[in-house]
Amino acid sequence: MNRTLLYVIGGLMLAGIIHITSVLMVPLFATADAWSQMRQFGRDGAFHVLPQARPGAEPLDGLDPRMLYSVCRFSLADGPLQISAALPDSFWSIAVFDRRGRNAYSLNDRAAERSELDLVIITPVQMAQLRQDPPEALETAIVVELPLDTGFALIRVFVSDDTMLPRARAALDSAECSNAI
Amino acid sequence: MRPLIDIAIAIVIAAGIGLSTAWLAVERGNIFGLVRIGDWTASPEAGSPGADPYAVARLARTGELPLGAGEGLAFTVSVDADGDPLAGNCTYHIDGQTPAARLWTLTAYDQDGRLMANAAQRQGFHSREILRRTDGSFDIVVSPDVQPGNWLPIAGAERFKLVLRLYDTPLTTGTPADSTMPDVRREQCR
Repeated sequence: MNRTLLYVIGGLMLAGIIHITSVLMVPLFATADAWSQMRQFGRDGAFHVLPQARPGAEPLDGLDPRMLYSVCRFSLADGPLQISAALPDSFWSIAVFDRRGRNAYSLNDRAAERSELDLVIITPVQMAQLRQDPPEALETAIVVELPLDTGFALIRVFVSDDTMLPRARAALDSAECSNAI
Repeated sequence: MRPLIDIAIAIVIAAGIGLSTAWLAVERGNIFGLVRIGDWTASPEAGSPGADPYAVARLARTGELPLGAGEGLAFTVSVDADGDPLAGNCTYHIDGQTPAARLWTLTAYDQDGRLMANAAQRQGFHSREILRRTDGSFDIVVSPDVQPGNWLPIAGAERFKLVLRLYDTPLTTGTPADSTMPDVRREQCR
């Protein structure tokens, strides 16, 4: 009797451990996560405008068909990342995700209080080094300290109707994402 | 020999329970931090750095990109006011007001979250193009048949869901008690 109880308790504890480990392991082995899917759009370190989401042709899951998106996979290993773009004033926002698809930072055009997007993503270590002698680019930009090694940025621009599409596309084509600093 | 067999059985059962509950929890997703207004649900945590491991696992599996807290919040509804699942052969009225937002879009998806093709080439509406009543409220008619006013056509889906994305909304920093979502009222079915 006692022994059976021991097995039940031990079994439940083991089940709990297996449950927690497998949930935590899922992102490490996922092959269809956003980062992996974005490889198809082009090289890292540059923005790529996604085709507009249409029935049967959605570039990524859960995209809003009324938005035009551009994505950039980046690495902070070679220095801070500078993101710049001249975007239309209807509505736009940018989100920065880590390698596992966790949202690390996001901002919309009103919060940015400007139509020119100028964002610098920098690791705390790089920030500490740059504080000695801050380059000019850091003075005008929105500087965001994030403890990331790799990740991706996603810009979305509202397209109210199809006549606005060329403008939105041109704006997103101008978007840059580089380790220039 | 007997204890060894017992331990082996216990381990196998434990692994089975652990793996299946993990799978269920990740597939169902959004167990924590769910915000509910009427029949509409949203998970603001999913788009924040503090997303729980279940949300992170689910996002990794689907590749879906949640709206960040600084961008907005997406609400989903898959049942009508009576609690019945939204069916593609019925007509529904999405009637009322949305919470405060600078811009919103309402989009219809099938059960698996895919956009649905229809002859009218329309998958949704946004807040700057719908017809409104004088008090600012609106009535969007989701139906397989042609409707006057704001008609959102659906075709060929047994079940569907609606996603209301509120862009630049104060809801991302907490749910005000007085926020209301539009009602989802079923009319007739074919």
